[in-house]
Amino acid sequence: MQASTVQPVFKLELNHKVTPGIVTIAKYDGTHSCLTASAGYDKIIIHHPHGAIISGRAQRSQAHGEVSELNLSQAVIALAAGAIKPDCPRDMLLIGSPTQILAYDVHDNSDLFFKEAPDGVNVITVGHFGKHNERLVIVGGNSSVMALNWQGVEQFWNVVGGKVCSMVTFDFDKDGENELLIGCEDSYIRVLKNNQFIIELAETGPVICLSLISDVRFAYGLANGTIGIYEEGIRLWRVKSKQNSISLEWSGENLACCWANGRIDWRDGTGRVLRRVQMRSHAAAMLLADYRSVGASDLICVSDKGEVLGYPNTPENVSLTATSKRFPSEEDRVAITELLNKKQALLVELQHYEANSSSLTNKDMERPSTAMPTNTRLQVAIAADSEEKCLQLVVSTNNETIVRTALVLAEGIFDSGETLARHPQQTQLKSIMYIPLKPPRDVPVDVHIKALVGYADSEQFHIFEITKQLPRFSMYTIAPSRMKTQIASHVTFRITERVQRICIWINQNFLLDQEVELENEDTKDFNISFICLRDMSRLEMEYSGDGQVKFKTPDIRLAGDLIQSLAVYLNLTDLQVHNQPLLYNYLFG
Amino acid sequence: MDYDLTRIDYALCGITYPDALKILPVSEQKSQQKFVIGDKNGILQCMSIKDEEPVIHFKTLPGKSITSVQLASSSGNNVDKIFAASGNEVKGYTRKGKVFLSIETSVAETITSMCVFGSDLVLCSGRTVTFYRELQEVYCYLCDDRVLDAVAFATPNNNRVRLLVLIANKEAVIIENGSLYKRTYIAAGPTRITVPSCLHSTEVCAFYGGADGSIGLIFYEDPDLLNKCLVEGCGLGSVMCVGWFYTGAGTHLAVGRHDGSIQLYQINTDNLKEKPRLKFTYFSGEPVTSVYGGCIGTDEPELLVATFSGRIFGLRPRRLVSGNVPISNIKNGDAFVLRRSKLETEIARLEKQTASERDKYQRNTRSIFPGISAPPLLDIQFELSGATSNGWQEVKIICAVSLDMLFIYCQNKLEIQTDSAAVLSLCSAQDTEDTELLATIRCQAGTRRLWLRMRTLSLSETKLEGTRVFIYVLPAGAPRVARIIKLHLPTLPHYSKYESLEVENQNSSWCEVRVSGGFSVAEMTAWLAEAIPGELPRPASNVALARSHTILGTLLICRYQQIWSHIWQMVEPLIPGSPAIPGSGSGYGNGGARGVKNLRKRFRCQTRRLDLATYNARTLRTDEKVSRAGSSEQVALEYHRFI
Repeated sequence: MQASTVQPVFKLELNHKVTPGIVTIAKYDGTHSCLTASAGYDKIIIHHPHGAIISGRAQRSQAHGEVSELNLSQAVIALAAGAIKPDCPRDMLLIGSPTQILAYDVHDNSDLFFKEAPDGVNVITVGHFGKHNERLVIVGGNSSVMALNWQGVEQFWNVVGGKVCSMVTFDFDKDGENELLIGCEDSYIRVLKNNQFIIELAETGPVICLSLISDVRFAYGLANGTIGIYEEGIRLWRVKSKQNSISLEWSGENLACCWANGRIDWRDGTGRVLRRVQMRSHAAAMLLADYRSVGASDLICVSDKGEVLGYPNTPENVSLTATSKRFPSEEDRVAITELLNKKQALLVELQHYEANSSSLTNKDMERPSTAMPTNTRLQVAIAADSEEKCLQLVVSTNNETIVRTALVLAEGIFDSGETLARHPQQTQLKSIMYIPLKPPRDVPVDVHIKALVGYADSEQFHIFEITKQLPRFSMYTIAPSRMKTQIASHVTFRITERVQRICIWINQNFLLDQEVELENEDTKDFNISFICLRDMSRLEMEYSGDGQVKFKTPDIRLAGDLIQSLAVYLNLTDLQVHNQPLLYNYLFG
Repeated sequence: MDYDLTRIDYALCGITYPDALKILPVSEQKSQQKFVIGDKNGILQCMSIKDEEPVIHFKTLPGKSITSVQLASSSGNNVDKIFAASGNEVKGYTRKGKVFLSIETSVAETITSMCVFGSDLVLCSGRTVTFYRELQEVYCYLCDDRVLDAVAFATPNNNRVRLLVLIANKEAVIIENGSLYKRTYIAAGPTRITVPSCLHSTEVCAFYGGADGSIGLIFYEDPDLLNKCLVEGCGLGSVMCVGWFYTGAGTHLAVGRHDGSIQLYQINTDNLKEKPRLKFTYFSGEPVTSVYGGCIGTDEPELLVATFSGRIFGLRPRRLVSGNVPISNIKNGDAFVLRRSKLETEIARLEKQTASERDKYQRNTRSIFPGISAPPLLDIQFELSGATSNGWQEVKIICAVSLDMLFIYCQNKLEIQTDSAAVLSLCSAQDTEDTELLATIRCQAGTRRLWLRMRTLSLSETKLEGTRVFIYVLPAGAPRVARIIKLHLPTLPHYSKYESLEVENQNSSWCEVRVSGGFSVAEMTAWLAEAIPGELPRPASNVALARSHTILGTLLICRYQQIWSHIWQMVEPLIPGSPAIPGSGSGYGNGGARGVKNLRKRFRCQTRRLDLATYNARTLRTDEKVSRAGSSEQVALEYHRFI
């Protein structure tokens, strides 16, 4: 809670407004960093503090002597820079307008290439990818990614499930070649390797920032205010804020996060805030660059009013530790404050236990308004409800106490907000409570339940907290056997796995009253059919002894999700899938 | 130039109420000052600080909550006497901690504020100000609303005492000899006053801090009691305490607020009406209950602060902290390391103790002989304000432990707002009708205070009995219990300003409702409590009260005793031609029948003999602006018109 502040090492004003997110830092002459930003609809400003005179199309700004302006006739959507030209250390500026990409050599005042992007431009990044030897310009569009070389020749192209919000090249599987991490608007982080998506990480909102940390870790930020860190595909931690993150950078040993409201905080390996600063206006960007030419990168924060602040990458507490031998430093005092916080919390807790035990001694007293039998337990179950077309979360106590209210916290499964609450009328209080859940997407969801238990007239309730994970395909329940309808659409593929493994996969990924079991060891064929609780559509799975698998469903997305989930479970890297009229229906029907 | 002060934590105590911390004057031998603090557990402690470590000089046993601590004013002969008020008692302590005085006063309610002036004692409790001289009650003055704070002044040429009293209906009054001398209305709603020491003791002049966060000056210039706002509220929280901070640079007014901010304003002592200059701001994160300046940790002045949850810390110039300047009471690193390790071992011991207690508690949950788990109530204070011009009613919640979540439930749809740091999430409806409000508020780590604004969405939804709101407060730490706060939003939320009954004599047009029937005063009080905000007078044989509308200025007067009651509503604003409703005229003549609704079934004081009808007061005025202002007044009684 207590966080110390940090002083900037440099400060400057651009005297231009800066469009949030469209900022880059490049070395146009190969040695000196220049901050480049969009300053309104079609204007680009280049700050060159090291005196390199920029000639040609760029004009010296009226508002600031060290700033040049570059006017395009089209809106600027994205900016990026990189030394893409072979054997040339100079950075080229890449300007994305709604439908075009322009590569511009600022130093030589010449255009490198000009390319139409029919799918639109949202993000541009420059980096090595896969087996390509040269640095590529990778452009994220509305439903695709495209890579260009320095001459503007397309190197590859691929479809992405949703609008691309962020991209970064990263050696995800540690094979020495970079993969492309794509943050999509449909809440997935996808990893593209050699024209194939090798993994999809489901998140709870549009992924608007991605940033490298180390060779195994990366940080992400979502449009709902969540930021977090993944290590080898596993999320280490996440925290949620009201603000949106503009940018994340690994600075020193901490994750620096720049929020839209102009706050910058540094978090340690567990997400705890160590330091924070607040800029005077909203933030536009935060970048890591050696802007002072001192040989070490600084964290450069740009506000939307054009204020630029540089913070050292490693906090300068060397001088403080030197004096702390004799005089307690400020950090030490913060430590004392923290210790007292801890002491206070412990004292309060202890007081509660003491008061509790003292109330135990006089038993003849009337039941206090805060009481509950000590052996009260809370039981939680989840069951499919095909009448209400939902999952019923059942919360119940084991005695005469009642569940006054229950709060369910989960992300991405409620229409409004992040919680669902149930608060029965005073007269309808029971020791059991039903809470309907309708996850809209087939992703695993962590559901956190807080139930308040007591008596109807209690003034204070005991909080029971439970976290449950809903499996990925929890909205599919086993169909009654009498239902038999033909589903024409299906996908088929062949795997070489024992049927027992398929059963385990089903048990892990579906919510079943009873686990699926084979009749006997020798069973080779296996059929199961489900009903989707959302629209009562059918899903049938057939597994025959020769390894032929058939998923029958009218929903192509579900078929894809099932195959993806099964392939991940069985560790398959390559699977040949045939689909029957599914795709046709999807595209034309 | 702004001051650069840094926080040094000193000690912990129980929950503190505003103005329960005082710094003792300098004694002859030492330049460092002691301070006294009283807490909710009833413990009064006198401490000084040595090497940043508290040294306790005396400490009383727990008892009734201490709600106010005062030192005897230096003008009398009782210098260095400490007075602590708890409940209706006042105890006097010497510097050594010896009780030299203990009186049980006749005041009915808890003493909320106290003032010692020579041998005179002034107690504020509930709506009364009681004046004691030589421990004998001299007079008791009943105000229109709750008394918030009082200070005493000497009168020129005689030994009478003038009291400047702040009242919750945004009034400041001077009481002299048991009767009202002067009064003034202050829109900012002052909550605390303090007198600068530079003044002559007969000059009635004091700084106030307002509920809207503003700071101003109240002064008496014959023949009027005047006030001047010096610093606007600027969105900061309401003022909970004010104090003085004297340094070489001048005199400063220290202000502690409900939102946890502490500010220092430099005052020009030659011209108090000059705008004070803001010199320092610090955010402590929890409501500040006391703030004073004094030489606590070193020979130089620093600011001493107490918070609601019982943290006591100093704000000391940074140069004294970093130790660049050699000072006499040098605190070297060793002492600090010692303090830290002491604290760490203490916490380790507490952790062990807590773990064993927690274990014991949890073992209890598994035992086959169930006991009862009855943790004490969480320490939560809350306050619901009357409606503002937009119809918002604000509730401020402060908690001694940090909050995790709040869950709000209301049967009616409400509009709701909260602190920008907290995440408000509206839940989807429980059933298809969707007439309820279910919302959760997730707090940032360390949140101990929160405000919440609510207003009813549709006026047609307004029920006669008002709107009930349940707020479940879930703290972040152990033990895991949630306390419920039950709020009641009244039907006429705007009638929150208390008025004196003299307004009845005003020459203006009134509507009158007469009810007679077999009801008691208590029943009548219960009904009115659902209709109008704030506290009502206690049921007595004959009750009268007057309220005015915060926007329109119209008056509501209720008089009731057993069997009959009169309710007047004034048709015209209080001040003729007041700009609150320009050009409204007197439109009482038309269509009182509109909006009549039979609410007999809901009306609690319904009697066997009486025919009741509702009358929507809004329809009295045809003016659109009134209804747009969001007033939702319905008076559920038969009415007569009379002039």
